[in-house]
Amino acid sequence: MINKADFINNIPLLIIAATSLLILIIEAIFPHGKKKIGEKIIFYLSIVSLIVAINYSFPQLTVNSLFFSSFLRLSTFSVVVNITMLLGILITVLSSKEYLEKEGINYGEYYSLLFIATLGMMLMVMAYDLIIVFVGLEIMSISFYVLAGFMRKRLESNESALKYFLLGAFFTGFLLMGIALIYGYTGSTSYSFFTNFKNQTEPTYFLGIVLILIAFIFKTGSFPLQMWIPDVYQGAPTVVTGMMSSVGKTAAFGALLVFFTTFGLEKFSMLIAILAILTMLYGNVVALLQTNIKRLLAYSSIAHAGYILIGFILVTPSSTHAVVFYLVSYVLMQLGAFIVIGIVEAQADTMEDRSLSNTLESYKGLGKTNPGLASILSIFLFSLAGIPPFAGFWGKYYIFLSVIQNNFIWVAIVGILLSLIGVYYYIKVILFMWFYEPVTGTIQKSKSEFAFTAAVISTIGLFLFGIYPDLLLRYIRAIF
Amino acid sequence: MLNNYIPILILMLFAIAFAIVCVFLSKFIGPKNPNPVKLSTYESGMEPVGTARQRFSVKYYMAAMLFILFDIEIVFLYPWAVAYRKFIPNTVYYALIEMSVFIAILLVGYIYMIRKGALNWD
Repeated sequence: MINKADFINNIPLLIIAATSLLILIIEAIFPHGKKKIGEKIIFYLSIVSLIVAINYSFPQLTVNSLFFSSFLRLSTFSVVVNITMLLGILITVLSSKEYLEKEGINYGEYYSLLFIATLGMMLMVMAYDLIIVFVGLEIMSISFYVLAGFMRKRLESNESALKYFLLGAFFTGFLLMGIALIYGYTGSTSYSFFTNFKNQTEPTYFLGIVLILIAFIFKTGSFPLQMWIPDVYQGAPTVVTGMMSSVGKTAAFGALLVFFTTFGLEKFSMLIAILAILTMLYGNVVALLQTNIKRLLAYSSIAHAGYILIGFILVTPSSTHAVVFYLVSYVLMQLGAFIVIGIVEAQADTMEDRSLSNTLESYKGLGKTNPGLASILSIFLFSLAGIPPFAGFWGKYYIFLSVIQNNFIWVAIVGILLSLIGVYYYIKVILFMWFYEPVTGTIQKSKSEFAFTAAVISTIGLFLFGIYPDLLLRYIRAIF
Repeated sequence: MLNNYIPILILMLFAIAFAIVCVFLSKFIGPKNPNPVKLSTYESGMEPVGTARQRFSVKYYMAAMLFILFDIEIVFLYPWAVAYRKFIPNTVYYALIEMSVFIAILLVGYIYMIRKGALNWD
């Protein structure tokens, strides 16, 4: 039975759900004319509703209980991750307007799908039942498939959507089969039920856990199942790529962390350690050879999935804090980098030029033609490389600290060495921007004010959490 | 502990073996005397006209999709209507509101669909 408290405590979720429907109605009512009233209303409505949702999330930081017949669980962890994701979506909404207008696809459906995806991601993190995890994952994934193919007239966008859809649907089957096996053995799908089964080695149960783990490894883009990431991220619209690679991964890792703490997967720690190292190795090494900046950042996002996976070797309070801190900083820097790429892309006039503008060559001399944009991108890349004083450094610091505390020192050593490889390709882009002459003539100054604002917000966040990490840690330490 | 799973393994092996044997049996034992009519495409006894690789109008998929959507709505509404009596008198509003929310969400989709002209055939 549902009562009032369920609704009062889940206002952010309801706001997001209602906004997605409202946007569809507005899109239907206002025709696409010259005045673009509908587009404006939708854009500002999205921003306002996200801000309100974030605002209502903060009081929930102290809540810790079950809602909707114990299907959802609000804890400090889920609320912190939810706020991170809502902030990421807010930055995405801000950054996408000009990009979509340039591509001629500024439809209300984009925002509606974005909100539906957010709803799915929030459900995934808050889920206290395997079925809700599945439902949330599907809501998120299906919206992502459509968003990836949103540039209907670009071949690569279609390719990306189709690849993502086929593989995603396939691995959703793994998740569902895992849930079915676990249900078959325990007779329940509720997380509260599984604490009695922590040290079971019964094959059915074990296989169920492994299958769910495989589905999550796919969704987070970790080593054996990372093949879809570069193609999908390259083809999708840049703003969508930024959102998928940061906020989408945050949701997957958030749900995975809840899954780990519930099922107590200590016996998998060696497997996770090896997977994390292979993920870092693959992402960092293959990224060295890339000539397309979207592809480069896609491989770097694989490497970052590896760093985050280190926090899953042994799930202790300190490693949970490290993972959450990493996710927050990762959302800011990954999203910010893609926003800048989107701004650069939107400066080109024809569709071919926009495709070409993603090559590393076209970033030569960006520091001379557009110093503001180049310095912001440099900050994001420095942060991704893990150079202080940006938040990315503290993310890596806490991750490696927690794994050292858990007596997996060799993982920390290998991880730090591999992250040194990563520095090379980030610095290469920065070198291209500042120490080379521009290839083509002067690029006009960008007219993307909203996107620029969004990038600046991310930069401020990176600086703030980098110089004064306690600002964020204060909330994160309350998780356990 | 794994002993319990041996019957399943045996069943799996049997299933795979049975499938393989059936495929090859029909290939080796079955009589083969093909003629042009036998080899032509099967179209429910009609003579094949043109190629099967035609492009369908997207409207066809639109109608099919909408049909499934509202079909599912009916599927959910029906058991709800049958069970509605049991909610009286204590939780009748609960049941009513639950279904209203569901229908409202679908209604948004309906308005959207009408305005976007998904039902205009030409």
